[in-house]
Amino acid sequence: MTATTDTTTDTFDTVAAWAEDLNRDNATLDDRGEFPWEKWKTIQRSGILAVPFERRYGGEGRSLTETMRALEGLGYTSRDAGLNFSTSTQIVSVGLVLQAFGNEELTTTYLPKIISGELITAHAITEPTNGSDATGITTTARRDGDDYVLDGEKMFITNAPIADLLLLYVRTGPPGPFGLSCFLVERDTPGLRIGEPLDKMGLRTSPLGAVTLDGVRVPASRRVGQEGAGFLILDHIMKREILLSFSITLGEMTHRLERCVRQARTRTQFGQPIGAYQAVSHKIADMKIAVETARKWLYDTGAKVEAGEDASIDVAATKTVVSEANLRTALDAVQIFGGSGFLSATGVEADVRNAVGGTIYSGTNEVQRNRIASLLGLGSPAGEGVRRG
Amino acid sequence: MDLETQIRDYIVSEFLSGEDVPDLTDDFDLIENGVVDSLGLVRLISHLSKTYAIPVDDIPLLPSNFRDIEHICAFIRQSPVAASG
Ligand SMILES: Cc1cc2nc3c(=O)[nH]c(=O)nc-3n(C[C@H](O)[C@H](O)[C@H](O)COP(=O)(O)OP(=O)(O)OC[C@H]3O[C@@H](n4cnc5c(N)ncnc54)[C@H](O)[C@@H]3O)c2cc1C
Repeated sequence: MTATTDTTTDTFDTVAAWAEDLNRDNATLDDRGEFPWEKWKTIQRSGILAVPFERRYGGEGRSLTETMRALEGLGYTSRDAGLNFSTSTQIVSVGLVLQAFGNEELTTTYLPKIISGELITAHAITEPTNGSDATGITTTARRDGDDYVLDGEKMFITNAPIADLLLLYVRTGPPGPFGLSCFLVERDTPGLRIGEPLDKMGLRTSPLGAVTLDGVRVPASRRVGQEGAGFLILDHIMKREILLSFSITLGEMTHRLERCVRQARTRTQFGQPIGAYQAVSHKIADMKIAVETARKWLYDTGAKVEAGEDASIDVAATKTVVSEANLRTALDAVQIFGGSGFLSATGVEADVRNAVGGTIYSGTNEVQRNRIASLLGLGSPAGEGVRRG
Repeated sequence: MDLETQIRDYIVSEFLSGEDVPDLTDDFDLIENGVVDSLGLVRLISHLSKTYAIPVDDIPLLPSNFRDIEHICAFIRQSPVAASG
C-alpha cells in the first residue's frame, strides 16, 4: 500500500508528511556513517519508491518528470543526503532497468518487492581498474550451457553493503559497444562477496562497497536484455539516473537557499542584518540564479527525454551544471553562516562534503564535457562514451 | 534516394570522414570493423530518431539492430512512425 494514489496531485509533496522522521538524528548518523534503517521504513511507507513504476507491479504509474518532482521534494524535505542518494539508487539501479528491459519472470518476481522497498538494490559498473572508461569493463560472464559464470571485481557500488539484488554490467564479448551485458544477481548467490561499507567524506549514510565475483553461476534467464545490450542499457539508465538523482540535488539546493535568506535577514552585525551587505546579498542572488538554472536544465531535459527526443548533450550538460552549482552554493552557504557554518551541528558543512560526490558519480564532470565535445563532432577523445554509476 | 543509400551516406560522412569505401556493403559489420564505437552508437541512434521521427524510447535497444546497414534499415521500416511517414 502506498501513500500517494491520486495521479493528479503534485508529486513534490510525496514525503512532506514524514519530514520529522526523515530528519531525526541526522548529525549522529552522518558521524557514524550508518545506513538509517528506521528512516528506510519511512521511505517505504511514503510511497516514493513506487512513483515511476507501472500499476500492474504496484507502482504509481507516474511519468519521468513527475518522478523528478517527487525526488526534488525528497531533497527539499530530507536533510539526510545519504539516505536520499540511496533512495534514488533504489529506484534507478534495478527497478527502472527491469521495467524497460527485463523478461516477464524477472519483472513479476522482483519489481513488486523493489517498489515496496523490501528488496534493496544496487548496480555495479565501476571496477578498481575501470572507472570513467566503462567500455573497458573486465569482469566477465562466460556462457556455460544454460548458465553464465561471472568472475571479476566491482568497486564503489552504492547500496552494495545492504543490497539484496545487484545488477552487474559485465563483459560478454570483444571491446566495443556490444561487448557488455547485464545480469541480475541475488546477494546470497555462491561466489558473490560484498565488502564492508567504505568510509567516505560525504553521503555517509549511503553505504558503498566493493563486490567480488568468483565463479558466480547464474541461469541465462538472469540476463537483462539481449547479450551485448549492456552499453545501450547503461546509456538509457544513466539518463534517468542523472535526472532523478540531481532532482534531489535541486531540492537540497532550494532548501539551502531559503536557509541562507533567513540567516542573512536575521543575523545582525555592525547594527545591520548581514544581508544588507552586498558581499552577502550577491552571494545569495547568485545562489538563486544557480537554483533556477539547475531547475530549468533538469525539467527541460526531463521533458525532452520523456518526449523521446534525443537529449544526450542536454543530460551531460545538466549533470555538470547542477553538480557544480551544488558544490558552489554549498561553499557559499558555509561562508554566509560564518563560524557556525563550520560546525557540524549546523548541518551546512555536510552539504559541502556531500556535494563533492556529485561531480564524480554518474560520470565525472570531465567525462561529461568530453562527451559534449564529442557529440559536437570535436574529435573523439578518450572517455567520451557513456558514464555512470 | 532509397533508405539504404541514406544510411550509407550518413555513415560515410559521420564515421568515415566522407571517404567512401567499397567494403561498405549493406551487410558490412559496422561494429566489429570499428566504424561505429560506443559514442558513435549514441550518435547513430540520435540521428535515426531525429531523421526518421522515431522516439528514442521506441528504438529497440538490441545489438542486432545496429550491426550493419541492412539491419538498421529493417528496424526503421518496422517502426510504425517511420513506416507511415
Ligand atoms: C558517491 C559515489 C557513488 C558511486 N556509486 C556507484 C555505483 O552505484 N555503481 C558504480 O558502478 N559506480 C559508482 N561510483 C563510481 C563512479 O562512477 C566512479 O568513481 C567514476 O565513474 C569515476 O571513476 P574512477 O573513480 O575510477 O576515476 P577515474 O576514471 O580513474 O578518473 C580519475 C580522474 O581522471 C579524470 N579522467 C579520467 N578519464 C578522463 C578523460 N578521458 N578525460 C579527462 N579526464 C579524465 C576523471 O574525471 C577523474 O577526475 C560511485 C562513486 C561515488 C563517488
